Amino acid sequence: MALIDLRDVSKSYRRDALEIPVLNGVTITVPAGDFMGLMGPSGSGKSTLLNLLAGIDRPTRGSIRVADTEISSLSERALAGWRARHIGFIFQLYNLIPVLTAFENVELPLLLTSLSKKQRRDHVMTALGIVGLGDREKHYPRQLSGGQEQRVAIARAIVTDPTLLLADEPTGDLDARSAGEVLTLLQRLNREYNKTIVMVTHDPHAAERAVHVLHLEKGTLVEQVESRA
Amino acid sequence: MKFARLVLKSARRSKRRTALTILSVAIAVFLFASLRAVLDGFSAVAEASSSTRVVTIRSTSMIFNMPTSHADVIRGIPGVQDVTWANWFGGIYKDPKNFFGQFGIDAESYLRMYPEILVSPGEKRAFLEDRTGALVGDGLVRKYGWHVGDRIVIQPGIPYYGTQDYTFTIRGVYRSGASNVDNQTFLFHWKYLDERAGGAGQVGWYVTQLRNPDDAARIAMVIDQKFANSPYETKTDTEKQFSAQFASMLGNLNLLLGSVALAVVITTLFVAGNTMAMSVRERTTEIAVMRTLGYPASTIFLLVVGEGLMVAIVGGAIGAGLARLVINGEYLGMAGGFIPAFGVNNWNVVVGLGLSVLIGILAAMIPATMASRLKIVDALRRVA
Repeated sequence: MALIDLRDVSKSYRRDALEIPVLNGVTITVPAGDFMGLMGPSGSGKSTLLNLLAGIDRPTRGSIRVADTEISSLSERALAGWRARHIGFIFQLYNLIPVLTAFENVELPLLLTSLSKKQRRDHVMTALGIVGLGDREKHYPRQLSGGQEQRVAIARAIVTDPTLLLADEPTGDLDARSAGEVLTLLQRLNREYNKTIVMVTHDPHAAERAVHVLHLEKGTLVEQVESRA
Repeated sequence: MKFARLVLKSARRSKRRTALTILSVAIAVFLFASLRAVLDGFSAVAEASSSTRVVTIRSTSMIFNMPTSHADVIRGIPGVQDVTWANWFGGIYKDPKNFFGQFGIDAESYLRMYPEILVSPGEKRAFLEDRTGALVGDGLVRKYGWHVGDRIVIQPGIPYYGTQDYTFTIRGVYRSGASNVDNQTFLFHWKYLDERAGGAGQVGWYVTQLRNPDDAARIAMVIDQKFANSPYETKTDTEKQFSAQFASMLGNLNLLLGSVALAVVITTLFVAGNTMAMSVRERTTEIAVMRTLGYPASTIFLLVVGEGLMVAIVGGAIGAGLARLVINGEYLGMAGGFIPAFGVNNWNVVVGLGLSVLIGILAAMIPATMASRLKIVDALRRVA
């Protein structure tokens, strides 16, 4: 059964009087439990596609169904609630809050839930444990390496047990070793925890870890590759 | 409550900036509370003034004296129960900085007419029996560490009272029983002053006790009529009007101090608002990240307002507390003196804190709106 169902999705931006098309009639179906890589050159529309899936941007045309919800028609408030329940987002630059500890950063999405303090603590420690940073809960982002920061960011993305994990160039700012660790972690989340993941990447090595890879060029889907992973 | 830590940590992000914002709010609330204390002090004096007492001064100015013979004339007016008088001495105790009121009074009638001056019968008797004795307010005693029996030397500040020092013996300590009586006044015998003054039998002002307060306007008019076209024409008012006029000598205080307070508050509002806006602008990406995590715009709005509120309330509490400490703390020497009821009361503290809440909310309103309306994708793209 398809977890993500994009039908004829287009997106264009307006810059002054100019209309700039970014996605042109993209149709994608992603089954639950898939690990999909999205590749393409800069400006091909892959990050835009990810933003549309995350519900932080709206299509100009077309339908986006994620987890049986047509998100393109949700109000801003409903969309925020939907994101909190269904989406875990991993950014290229980690985007941790610098004044919060690793624990507090991971706890951030849980503050929107009705969980008790103890339950929140259990969830956070579980998530930090999965990413292998259970002993770094009191560390601030500046006290962590890039790879560790990204793992904290992954813990923050999975702490609510979301339906879908979206990763935007998650290894783009990491050295090869850290990138390898992060990709292994994503693979583990997909295989052991059956998390559906969509990952945008430039890096062919990173894309190899995905189960399927889609190629975008100039806002159009050009090919679908079965990965070796 | 679960967001409190988040708000606290956000406020502590730039400690120096937050501290300066807190300080600016604290100064605004301190000034507001202090200026309100001045206005309230004058109002309290006027409110506590007796409606059965009228005060007579020279029509030209209260700095000019009148003869003691006026007392007999006033006493003879129907409806008058009692008359007393006093002079402003204006002496210097060790240093001109040591300012406090020194009145030469007709002791017996003065204490009779002012039951608000609370003194023990023994000390009152000792004061009345000693021509060079002094009756001193308890505030003044605390301020200078005086005791009953101490000899106090005061140098005349007005040439009319001679050039030689006056030596007094403290015979009693009084407490103030009402806001119109300052507890930092030095009272002594008018006779002692009169003996050494340039012209004998001169009085600064008369206070007349009436049998019926309804007669105040009539009797005031009669008193002034009695001395009309004489070399010592008078101007008589109720004690309340006298207090109000005394305050009005300083100009339109309400408008003046109110304007200063308002200007300070508005300036602080802009300073705090600008600081908050700067702080939110710096956090554009973080706010976008929180929105991505599912934080609704309304929660972001409340978090920013909460941060502004917290900073402003801390500043307000410091300002109000400082005002209480500085203005009301007698050991710091601000309370009493020129305005007997000078002090930051509870209501002023509450209003000051309310003002800080208002500053916090208003200052955060625009940055909070900015933050809540942020377009997530644009904000993320700005950095990525």
